[in-house]
Amino acid sequence: MSDAPTLVRVRIVYCAACGYEPQALELARALMYEFTYGLEAIEIIPWAEGTFDVAVDGELVHAMLRDGSFPANQKIIDAVRQRLNR
Amino acid sequence: MSITKERFAQGMSFQQYLDQMTRNRERLEENYNTVQLSDEQLAFFKDLPQPLNVVVIAEDWCGDVINNLPVLARLAEASGKLNLSIFLRDQNHDLMNQYLKDGQHMSIPVFVFFDQSFNELGHFIERPEEISRLQGEYLAKLFATDPAFAGVEPGASPATLPDAARNRMMQAFGEFRAQHREQSDREVVRELHELLDRGLSQARGQ
Repeated sequence: MSDAPTLVRVRIVYCAACGYEPQALELARALMYEFTYGLEAIEIIPWAEGTFDVAVDGELVHAMLRDGSFPANQKIIDAVRQRLNR
Repeated sequence: MSITKERFAQGMSFQQYLDQMTRNRERLEENYNTVQLSDEQLAFFKDLPQPLNVVVIAEDWCGDVINNLPVLARLAEASGKLNLSIFLRDQNHDLMNQYLKDGQHMSIPVFVFFDQSFNELGHFIERPEEISRLQGEYLAKLFATDPAFAGVEPGASPATLPDAARNRMMQAFGEFRAQHREQSDREVVRELHELLDRGLSQARGQ
């Protein structure tokens, strides 16, 4: 039986047609510093249509069109921590 | 929006905007060179009682700017009645923050029309409403019929889509533009005509 730690994958989809690169990079930076090796990967995917959505292990934790505006970094950090503690 | 003559004068001409672009200039110029304007479409703009001042908010990375600014620029060139003053969104938040889409999104392009005394007559944000509606229908059909979306809930976030579905959806944005380009240009002209007709009527009534 493996005792390898459970790692978490985060996907950030941002609207490249809206210039949301700084917010995507800032969120990625915050996650990297907070979790270092706790993350399997951070995917940053250019999109369109005013999108700034974040999924943690396939579960949508923030959608700009649903939740409004950008997520606070802490919201995503909390979602990742919750996942790591499962 | 309130803007002074001095602030308006700080914007760029269309040529100056082209000259400072660091990407997508070829795409924008191709759109500019291929905009089709009929005499009927132009008549309203040529017959404007006085030249109008138009604040444009743009950035060179934005697809909707690449699509829609050329239509306005051709209208300005062909009518001789629209003085464009172009500002970069990310260096002019004082202007941008007055025209957030749905009160929160810094969507561009923004076109704001003013009379000679800088009274606002109306504004346009991002793209024509009809094109947004048609694109929504196009994507809904894709979700319902394309095998890449099998088992995917309609309207699912791109953050949760399987890679194949996400790639297919991005491809579909391009297909939609190719299939609807002429209609989109016509809708831009129609919306600008309508908003100016309304704004000028209201101004006359005051």
